[in-house]
Amino acid sequence: MGIQEQYRKEAAELLSSGAVKLVIGYGEGTTADRRRPVFIRSAEYVGRLVLDANCVANLSAYLVQEGLLSDGKKVAAFLKPEGIRSMNILAAEAQLDPEQVVILGFDIEAGQATSLSGRNASDFTALIGSLKASGLSPELQKEADRLEHMGSADRFEYWKAQFSKCIKCYACRQVCPMCYCRRCIVDVNQPQWINTSSHTLGNFEWNIIRAFHLAGRCVACGGCDRSCPVNIPLRLINHRMAKEALDTFGHFAGESADQKPVLATFRQDDPETFIL
Amino acid sequence: MIYNPFPMRVVSKREEAPGVRTLKIEFLKQEDHDFFKNHYRTGMFGLYGIYGEGESTFCVASPETRTDYIECTFRQSGRVTSTLADVDSGDIVTFRGPYGNRFPIEEFEGKNLLFIAGGIALPPTRSVIWSCLDQREKYRDVTIVYGARTVADLVYKHELEEWKQRGDVNLVLTVDPGGETPDWQDHVGFVPSVLEKVAPSPDNTVAVLCGPPIMIKFTLTALEKLGFSANNVYTTLENRMKCGVGKCGRCNVGSTYICKEGPVFTAEEVQAMPQHDL
Amino acid sequence: MTRILLKSRLDDCLGAWRTAGFSVLAPVKRNELTRFDEVQAASEIALDIVITERTIKEHFFLQTEPLIKYQISKKQIETEEMLPPERKRVFFGVRPCDAAGLDIDDPLFGWDYKDEYWFRRREGSVIVTIACSQADDFCMCTSVHLAPDSTKGSDLMLHPLRDGRGWQVVPHTDRGKALLEPVAPMLQEEVAETAPVPDVPVKFDLDKVSSWLSDPANFESNFWKEISQRCIGCGSCTYLCPTCHCFDIQDEGDTYNGIRRKNWDSCSFALFTMHTSGHNPRNTQSTRWRQRIMHKFNYYRGKFGVNSCSGCGRCTRQCPVDMGITETLHEISNLPR
Repeated sequence: MGIQEQYRKEAAELLSSGAVKLVIGYGEGTTADRRRPVFIRSAEYVGRLVLDANCVANLSAYLVQEGLLSDGKKVAAFLKPEGIRSMNILAAEAQLDPEQVVILGFDIEAGQATSLSGRNASDFTALIGSLKASGLSPELQKEADRLEHMGSADRFEYWKAQFSKCIKCYACRQVCPMCYCRRCIVDVNQPQWINTSSHTLGNFEWNIIRAFHLAGRCVACGGCDRSCPVNIPLRLINHRMAKEALDTFGHFAGESADQKPVLATFRQDDPETFIL
Repeated sequence: MIYNPFPMRVVSKREEAPGVRTLKIEFLKQEDHDFFKNHYRTGMFGLYGIYGEGESTFCVASPETRTDYIECTFRQSGRVTSTLADVDSGDIVTFRGPYGNRFPIEEFEGKNLLFIAGGIALPPTRSVIWSCLDQREKYRDVTIVYGARTVADLVYKHELEEWKQRGDVNLVLTVDPGGETPDWQDHVGFVPSVLEKVAPSPDNTVAVLCGPPIMIKFTLTALEKLGFSANNVYTTLENRMKCGVGKCGRCNVGSTYICKEGPVFTAEEVQAMPQHDL
Repeated sequence: MTRILLKSRLDDCLGAWRTAGFSVLAPVKRNELTRFDEVQAASEIALDIVITERTIKEHFFLQTEPLIKYQISKKQIETEEMLPPERKRVFFGVRPCDAAGLDIDDPLFGWDYKDEYWFRRREGSVIVTIACSQADDFCMCTSVHLAPDSTKGSDLMLHPLRDGRGWQVVPHTDRGKALLEPVAPMLQEEVAETAPVPDVPVKFDLDKVSSWLSDPANFESNFWKEISQRCIGCGSCTYLCPTCHCFDIQDEGDTYNGIRRKNWDSCSFALFTMHTSGHNPRNTQSTRWRQRIMHKFNYYRGKFGVNSCSGCGRCTRQCPVDMGITETLHEISNLPR
């Protein structure tokens, strides 16, 4: 039995036994290679679930939808390792109780979806730990290296050209599991911390603030990058922050549900390289 | 340019109730003033602003019979109103308008008038009240039922006193239970129930009703019970607005643009709107 | 015999327009993004794409438009209106759906109060469309009763020739005719066959959609909740839409100097309709999605006699969760009734 059939069956069992109230998974999309999030509430509809190499979105963002978990009931979600990591962060930041999420874990290897064993967040700690050393995909690494080797003026011009495309649609924020604030800092207007206008300066403010807020929290799921309708390579900027957190504090975001948030934690032996 | 407001000078500022202020503002330019005088009718609204903070929408609280100045009354809550609350006499603010439709007070002539208002919604009602009282001879009996949560929350206290003293206005004041002070002489109770006791006959009577949505809802039921038909009850709707001129796309209730087709509607028109879009 | 513009003469043509005082904007791919931008040479133009990722709307209704410059001193305010410069522009290679989008928005920006920003730019611009020779899975112009070669909003339409050498040139307005004057020497009369337009399948029944939407009973239908479940509430579909026109007005600057701006805003955002009191008439994503669909296919039609959609398909093409107008209207068409 392929993974799709296996997970459909398991989803049906979870729903019909009442173990979960909802399965968040993937379904057919507009085109053959597109998948869209689907919400299955009854075993009779599990046939809508699709699981293959096109299932790339990180569905963990839906877990923090307002009111979803407030009744204490369980929800199952199709999650890749990055999705499990972001769920761990959400748990560590007290946004959800990992006990309420049944993880239908999978990964994509060599163009195939493969199942991951374990259904609870804690089952995946070893797996995630093993990912710590894995870096970016070769083509992203190449792009990251290219940026790294630029002089600061050139790098600034590069990001200026990229951010000037931004239209402040906030797709990056809305799709991101880490952007769960009910009122984002850019929507606060007393005082108005950040310009709402989408000119180059305002776009810089927005994108840099988001990058800072994701430092040590981004799991590199690539959701923002894929969602950006104007093709800003957001993954590169977030990767840079993640690298900083890893190099400086040995922090790999979302290793476990009880991992302490790196920028909210103080350790005696923290490096103080940035304090004069 | 349609988004360019009139500069206005603050003449005076009055504290109405906790967090509620009235500003009296006057035009700096004659042409702006002339435009206002020619276009303003009671019920219309404007965007009041202060450069650096933005604009906020509320009604023109002064009547169409007094157009030498504009009065506006607002609760200090958002970014703009908090700044407007801090202005002093002589400061420059802005006004964009008057926009929207109006209470058809000519059609009210020869009729009894019943004004009903709750809390901070007296200002739009007060604009119609004075527009009618300033031509008192055109109208028959005038009844004003005004309620607020507490005595302190009643706005325009000096004018309430003035209306009370007038022989040709029947003013009924009420505060919610628990909102009365030891020396409170008037009614205690919610507007709809007080209204049922004091309302004039619906015959040849027009009602103007302004208040928070929940009060409107129960008051309309009370009015129906009293025999008022919904097309004889006028109210005014508020929604978040940015342009005021039917373009920015946010104030609509169903297909109705509050800024252009409103803000004044009959209860019948409001009831025909999709209620969950209000 | 028809009038032909050969691709080999395009550079001369652009040059002649520039000499006549026009800036030429055309589809380009710059910094990994396709959009309309100013070009100097034909080689810069991306003629082979189905449609640009961004719309030409942004050149008429700017994502951030300065309105008023203000300067505040003690008891005095100085302001300066910032109207756009009067510029003559040619938009070359516009897709028929994007051109129709401008036409659809004209009455909105013009009813009673005329938005000078929109109209000043509209009046200075000539729209040269190229009829589509390809479509993708998201195109849906035929579903909204337009076509890959509809002329709504076009001053001049170019129809690709079958042999790929150039285009047949057909003016549709006086402005289009006038634009041909400076390039007359570059055109030639020929018998030439134009390429067939692509077959864009009809994806929903617009009449059924209209009648379902106009039934007040459906306003509260559970359909809205179900169809919008996965909507994440970003503004991508609205900002990429050739007809979405909602905006915000914001002041930017310090206490003494600044600019009041008109910025794109989106009905998808929760704060769009939030009152200061905290009351929000459209407080869930499903009510906001309903507003978007109702506005486009019911309210707008009631006000201006036209649907606020030209079928470009960007809302679906670029949606992070594969939603969009097509799916919703398709589902409405198929609802039992």
